[in-house]
Parts: sequence; structure tokens; C-alpha cells
Amino acid sequence: MNFDYTEEQKMLVQSLERTLAKSYDFETYRAQLAEKASHDPALWASLAELGIMAMPLPEAAGGFDGNHTDIALISTELGRRLVPEPYVSNVVVAAYILGAVGGDAHGENLAAIGTGEKRFATGFYEPGERHNPLALNTKAEQSDGGWVLNGHKAVVLGADTAGDFIVSADAGGPSLFVVPAEADGVTVRKYQLLDGRGAADIVLNNVALGPDALLGDAGAAEEVILEAVDRGAAALVADSVGAIEEVIEMTKDYLRTRTQFGRPIGSFQVLAHRMVDLLIEYEQAKSMSMEASVEATNEDVNARKKAISAAKAKVGAVSRTFGKDSIQMHGGIGMTDEYALGAYVKRLLVNEMLFGDTDYHLDRYSSL
Amino acid sequence: MELSLTEAQTSFRDDVIAFLNESLPEDIKETQKSGGHLTKEQHQRWHKILGDKGWSTPLWPEEHGGTGWSPVEYAIWDEECYRTGAPRVLPFSVSMLGPVLINFGNDEQRDRFLPGIRSGEDWWAQGFSEPGAGSDLASLKTTAVLEGDHYIVNGQKTWTTLGQHGDWIFCLVRTDANAAKPQTGISFILVDMKSPGVEVRPIITLDGSHEVNEVWFTDVKVPAENLVGQENMGWTYAKFLLQNERIGIAGIGQSKEQLVSLKRLAASEQKNGKPLVEDQSFRAKLSEVEIELRALDLTNKRMLVETERGMDPGPVSSMLKIRGSEVAQRLFELKMEASGLYALPFQPEAGDPGWNDELVGSLAQARSAPHYLNTRKISIFGGSNEIQRSIISKMMLGF
Repeated sequence: MNFDYTEEQKMLVQSLERTLAKSYDFETYRAQLAEKASHDPALWASLAELGIMAMPLPEAAGGFDGNHTDIALISTELGRRLVPEPYVSNVVVAAYILGAVGGDAHGENLAAIGTGEKRFATGFYEPGERHNPLALNTKAEQSDGGWVLNGHKAVVLGADTAGDFIVSADAGGPSLFVVPAEADGVTVRKYQLLDGRGAADIVLNNVALGPDALLGDAGAAEEVILEAVDRGAAALVADSVGAIEEVIEMTKDYLRTRTQFGRPIGSFQVLAHRMVDLLIEYEQAKSMSMEASVEATNEDVNARKKAISAAKAKVGAVSRTFGKDSIQMHGGIGMTDEYALGAYVKRLLVNEMLFGDTDYHLDRYSSL
Repeated sequence: MELSLTEAQTSFRDDVIAFLNESLPEDIKETQKSGGHLTKEQHQRWHKILGDKGWSTPLWPEEHGGTGWSPVEYAIWDEECYRTGAPRVLPFSVSMLGPVLINFGNDEQRDRFLPGIRSGEDWWAQGFSEPGAGSDLASLKTTAVLEGDHYIVNGQKTWTTLGQHGDWIFCLVRTDANAAKPQTGISFILVDMKSPGVEVRPIITLDGSHEVNEVWFTDVKVPAENLVGQENMGWTYAKFLLQNERIGIAGIGQSKEQLVSLKRLAASEQKNGKPLVEDQSFRAKLSEVEIELRALDLTNKRMLVETERGMDPGPVSSMLKIRGSEVAQRLFELKMEASGLYALPFQPEAGDPGWNDELVGSLAQARSAPHYLNTRKISIFGGSNEIQRSIISKMMLGF
């Protein structure tokens, strides 16, 4: 057993850190939010150049055949820097689906994800269905040899800047379809999430698609959907670990430097112990995130689900505690938009609720 | 023992309900009920209606415009206001400054300022906290130096709630830099916010709202007659002012209303094909907070009845503030959880006047996360929960 990262992985993190240190700080983030932008083409291109888009892709698509530990490392850095770019929705979730069931027809699309030229977003969730990834009120019917889709996909991560969507729909069971954002009958209501990442609601109204829009076999997509969600969840858990590490640094710093009653507030035992409890929670969360990154690709489906649900539930609960306690320990300053803490608290909330919230994963864990 | 309302209290409640039903403007009710941001005009319109009725300053002595209500009657009023959707009158003028002027001000100050407080015409802001003086309020640095018949005020206040609307601000200022203890060099002074040298800068909070402000003072001339009470006695008045917050500090009325709207939301959300409110794990969370609120309601009433009998409630107000803030925060947290994925789109101004965007999800869902984030403040302001615990331990444990 070892918990080490390889030399290649360490180098990848270093180059990503360097790129982000150069081009993406909190002021850049604030400026981007002020313009209501979730995506910056220049930053995206420089990230693609580093190879982080190609990392998890198969060699046949120009990728590096990376594993989920690579993805976790990348996600942790993106979380640490509050980068809103649609990395997880595109490179982790959509690319997995295209690789798994897209066949040769989508080889070029995969390669284009790897170079950063194309972005896909994947919609499983639906209004009124909360965190159920197998919601199937969206219907796909065969027509003229092709398909006609009707339905509504809720809060689709990255859909505000994607050129194509992958959506789940009922075609005699869970099925996956590729829908160009520009197709007739597609309405995209774009918005930003609490932390500035982009998303959209997608409404499909008699959207006519060719036969090749179907990914894999009709009615047979359940396992692919669940694995895609789990991979997304594992990446967001790692993203949260990066955000938590930054929250720890900010809070420790504040406890040391803020003085009241003539002494640093961290010297008050009630705050020192509260911080220590957070540090314990962080170690627990980090362990679960590491396990999730290893188990995300486990072919033993039950083992995978169990590890992912454990990590998502644990890190979700820890994130909530971090959000509350770090603000409380900061006092008023922690409530302000100008100070970075609030942005991390919101990033953690979004990560907590996407790809199954804590309750969803607790339920699933206990049912396995 | 009899825990239900007396006949007199029931009939009082009926009067309150009748008045609220008759007098509360529909638009104000709607904004308040749905958790939107009230405009200055809405705040002031409702304050004036209450002032005309003689109900805007219920807890003041009757000779100054109080209603003579008992603490229990006031609690009934508070609850019925929330239930109906009537905004609470902002505390800064009515609950904070008013009693200080009545007890420590002079006749001229009372004649000049109390009418505008009763009618709501004067908008008062609070200038206590500073960037370096939060929990340790006595370390405040804003100075007031007497030059002839004016004080010259310099410094910065922060977390000034709704100060952007302010006509006046009551401030704690340092008038004796050489006092033996920091607490003994502080005075309580009233500043016209239209004076040259006063600048209000917005602070946007993480929920995207503009509620609090920084207020900067640069050589602001304040007439000496605006000093309240004696110079260097301000700390005593400030402590009196904060103690006055006791009644209503537990936020029972608001929390009861939030519980109702939480249940409504949970009934409209579906989980596994049935309403969320029927989901076992969610129901357990709901019952837990409901029972906590039930206990808090009774603890609060028990304290109010004892106060009515003239007993010293001791540290109970700090206890009520701690538990009241925790219950309120939990309710907002559960509303966010109940909202599911539609808690995530950031729509901080959804439904407010002038907001024309297309709503994503329902209004309750859209407001759930901003409210959750915004209410982190209630365990911080007015003496953080850590400070409240220190107050309790000093009184009850001796250290």
C-alpha cells in the first residue's frame, strides 16, 4: 500500500500550479464574475496546452490514458484556485461517456475535447426529481429512422458554454443522445451557479435528431450514466479538497493575525479547538477523496459505488462544516464578497450538491 | 401550571390580527412573505402606519409613546407580524437609540428626535463596530475632539446595516484617549449623515446583497449638543442599549414562519416519487428542528413571564440569542437542502423590484442559498455567539 503520487503526477501539478499562479488569481476570478463569464478562451487554451484535457483520454484519441488520480490532482488545483472552467463536465463526465459508448463515430470529438477545441455538457437531472440521475421524464421517440426528443434537463454543469449536449432520455429505458446546442427545438437558459461556474437548463421541444445521435444501445445506458455520475462526483470531491485546503490556510492565517482583547484570536481556546476539529475533518475528507480517485474506475461496480458514495457524503458533510465554521471564526469579514473566503464556501456548496448531494449518497451507501 | 394564553391575551391577539389584516399593504406583505428585500419606501410606509396607530414603539414608556404591552403581549405581536407577513420595524431607532435617549438624553434631544423615530421619518443607522473593533468593541478608534461648540469626528465604522438609507447615525466615539480603561474614554454621539465628511461605502456580502456598509468620517463637524448624556459615559449607554435587545432576541416569530415555509417547500419537492416532506431522513431533520423551536418558544415565554414579575433574567438573553440564532440558521439550511439542485443557480436579486431576469426554479428555491449564506451573520452580529457564551460563563461560573 502506498499513498504516493508518481513523479509525472507531481510534475503535472507543478506545471498546473505555475500556469494558474501566472494567469488566475482571486482578482481575475472577481473580474470574471463581474462580467458574468464562466469561461475564458485564453485560460482554457493554456490549460489544454498543459495536457490536462487530454490527460484522461485514450491514446487513440491523442490522450495520455491517465487515471482518476490524475483527474483528482487536476481538480484539486482547479478548486484551490476557484477556476470556473467547465473541466469536470466536459473532460471527466462527457469524455468518459463518449469513450465508453461513443464508438468510432465520436473518436474525433474525443480528440477535440483533448485539444480544448470542443466542449460537451451532460444532462441527467430533471426538475422535480432532485438528485436522481436516472430521472426519465425526457422522452425519445423513433421517427423517420431518427429520434425526436422532448423534455427538460435541470442545472446542467457547463451547458452555458458547450457546443453539444449529452442528455439522458427514455427510449424503452435509460438512453443517451448527443444534441447539438444549436439544434432546432433546443432552448438553453444559461446562468451562473453560486460560485461562478456556468450551467444551464435545457428544454427539448420536438428536437429531431438523426439515428447516429443515440450513444450505445437504446434503453441500455443505466450503468454508463451511474459510472459517469460517479466519476464526476470523484472529481468534485477532489475539487473540494483543494478548496478546503485554501480555507484552512486563510482561517489559520486569520486566527494568527487578527487581534482582539490584545491577543491573536487563535489563542482563545474555543477557536483553537474549533480549528483543530476542522483539521481532523480535513484529514478524514482527504482520505476519502484519495480512495474515491482510486475506486472511480473499479470494474467491481458495487465497490466503486460504495467508495464514491462514502467520499461524496463525507466530504459533503465536512464541506458544510468548513463553510459554517470558517465564516464564524472570521466574523464579519468572512461574510463579504471582497474577501475570498465566501467564494470558497460557495464552491464547496456547489460541489456538495452536484452529482448527488449528501443525503442521496448516504441513502445509496446504505442500500449497497 | 397553565401554558396556554389567558383570555385577555387571546383577545389581545385577536385585536392584533384584525389590525394587521386591515392595515398591512399587499405589496409589503408579498415581499416579506416570499423573503425578498424590502425597499426603503416599503420600510418607511409600514413604519408610518404603525406610528399613526401608536404601535411603532410598543416597549417605550407610555409617556413617550409606548403601548404599555407586557413582554408576553409583545411576543404575541412579534409572532403575529411574522405570520401575517408584516415586516418588523428596524431595531436601530426604535429598540436601540430610543431607550437610550429616553433614559440618558435631555429634553431637547427627546423633543427633537423621538417624533421622527415614532413615525419612521428619520432613518437611523448604528455606528458601533470598526474594522479593528468587532468582538472587542471597546478598542474602537474613531475619535471626537471638542473644538469650541463642535466635535470633530474622524474614523471609520463598519457593518452599518442599511446605512445607505441613513439620515442619522448614532456612534460610539473615543473622546478620551488617555482614559485608564478603554471603556471609560468613549462617548455616545448623534451624527447627521448629510454632514460634509461623511461617506457611506457599500459592502456586498457573499449572498450578493447590499445590506451593510462602511461609514467614513473625515473632519466631520458635529454640534456639541448632539452628545448624548455625559462625555466618556458612552460605554454605559451602549451596554444598556444592547441589554434592551433581550425581548425578541430569540427570533421566535421569524423561525415559526420559516418552519411553515420550509414545510411548504418540502411538500412541493419530490424525492423518490413522493413529497420530500414524507421522506424519512428529511422528516427526522424537520422534527429535530421543530422540537428545538418548540422548546425555545417555551423557554422564551418562561423568561418573559419572569421578567413581567420583575425578576432578573440573568444570562438568559444570551442563551436565547445563541439558541435562537442556531435554530434560525438550521431552518434556512434545511430550506436550501430542500431546494435540491435549484438552490444552485445564483439569483441574488430574484423577485426584487426592478429584477427582470427569467427565474430559474421557484422563487423559494432561488432565494434559499442566498438566505442560507446571509444568515451566517446572525451568530456573528450583536455580540458573536462566542462572546455570548463568555457572558454566560462569567455570570454563571464566575470565569
